[in-house]
Amino acid sequence: MEDIKAYIESGILELYVLGDLSPEERLQVETMASEYPAIMAEITEIETSMEFYAAEHAIEPSEALRNKVLNSLLINLGDDTIFTKPRKHTDEEQFEDDDHNVAQLHTGKSTNFYKYAFAACLALLVVSTFALVNLYNQLQDSNSQLTAVLQQKQQFANRVNLMDRELDMYRDPSIKVLKLEGMPKTPSSAMTVAWNPANKKVMVDMKSMKLPKYDKQHQYQLWALVAGKPVDLGVFDTANPGDDTALIKEMKPIASAEAFAVTLEPRGGSINPTMDEMVVIGKL
Amino acid sequence: MSKQRKISLTEEELVLSLRNREKIAVEALYDMYSASLFGVISRIITDTAIAEDVLQETFVKIWHSFSSYSSDKGRLFTWMVNIARNLAIDKVRSKDFKNQNKNQELENNVTFIDEQRNTIYKPELLGIRDLVSTLKPEQKSILDLVYFKGYTHVEAAEELGIPLGTIKTRLRMAIQQLRKHFN
Repeated sequence: MEDIKAYIESGILELYVLGDLSPEERLQVETMASEYPAIMAEITEIETSMEFYAAEHAIEPSEALRNKVLNSLLINLGDDTIFTKPRKHTDEEQFEDDDHNVAQLHTGKSTNFYKYAFAACLALLVVSTFALVNLYNQLQDSNSQLTAVLQQKQQFANRVNLMDRELDMYRDPSIKVLKLEGMPKTPSSAMTVAWNPANKKVMVDMKSMKLPKYDKQHQYQLWALVAGKPVDLGVFDTANPGDDTALIKEMKPIASAEAFAVTLEPRGGSINPTMDEMVVIGKL
Repeated sequence: MSKQRKISLTEEELVLSLRNREKIAVEALYDMYSASLFGVISRIITDTAIAEDVLQETFVKIWHSFSSYSSDKGRLFTWMVNIARNLAIDKVRSKDFKNQNKNQELENNVTFIDEQRNTIYKPELLGIRDLVSTLKPEQKSILDLVYFKGYTHVEAAEELGIPLGTIKTRLRMAIQQLRKHFN
């Protein structure tokens, strides 16, 4: 009896009721309580006091909560009465069934969704590939057009440059323009030579050139007469029609000259002019 | 305060009808204990909405695990209070709750709640109002820490900076005072 009193006064029963004991200690208290009615009575006393204490601190939850809680419990109660199996199992099965249904519906929907999504992606791929090929072709066309236009532009620029040089020849006051006229043998022949005594440059105008036709073994050669002696100024061919680049041909330079003449010589030119084959001559 | 008719049963009747899964048991259970349990939960969780969620969880758990309750082990309310307190503490310790709320001091909570909501005084508890004064402040603070906040007496000792033995003695003295008062 003394032991029991000491046990009660140790305060362990209070801790038991307050829920502050380990599972082993709880079990021990419960064993003691089942053995000794005095301990059980003491526990009940403490529990009752704490129940009053809690009731004193009670707080009424909102009225709406009552129905919410009761409904959530009574829905399960309905299940319990319908199913004759043990309650716990019924509940678990019920939840499992619900989950299963939801999961199935869900997967069905998502599979459909992925099917459509895949089809849409495929269609998009085809359309965009087609559009890409189209665009690529157009780009190629544009590129070749651009190249053609650039070439044309270059040609025009070249031509303008040449014409500028040609014009300069006539504009420059230091340049002497000399008309070479035909010999009695070739009366219709004529050509123009421009000579700049300052920088010794000699140029022939290919465009206004009118010289008799010749074969491939021969070539015209320009001569300058310096103090009665012929000086070689280089060979040239008559311009082919449509050949833009050779409108003006620069010949060998010469510092002074009394006259210019052109003879037909074997291809490559001769050291001395063949006077018989002289086609044009012009004196300063 | 209560407009609707409240069902009240003796504890033996209630336990029996709960065992038999009767509808009236559910209503009686709620009417008899919701306010007391909510008082405990509200001292751990100050947010009313969350506290009410926890109260609902508590009743669901009581209902589903009722087969594990045995009247041999003690009174029904003691068992239910343990469920409510544990659920409330679990909620407070859960990640999302920690993120949205910080714990407040116990004494602040009690004052805060008592100001915010009307405490219910049941007829059979008339005259209990002066109970607070029958408990010494140091007894009450320890009792509340352990009973309402779910502190172990070891944690309470650390929190209050009091030796373990003193904590145990004060707890016992406090409950003795209560018993004297209620008898």
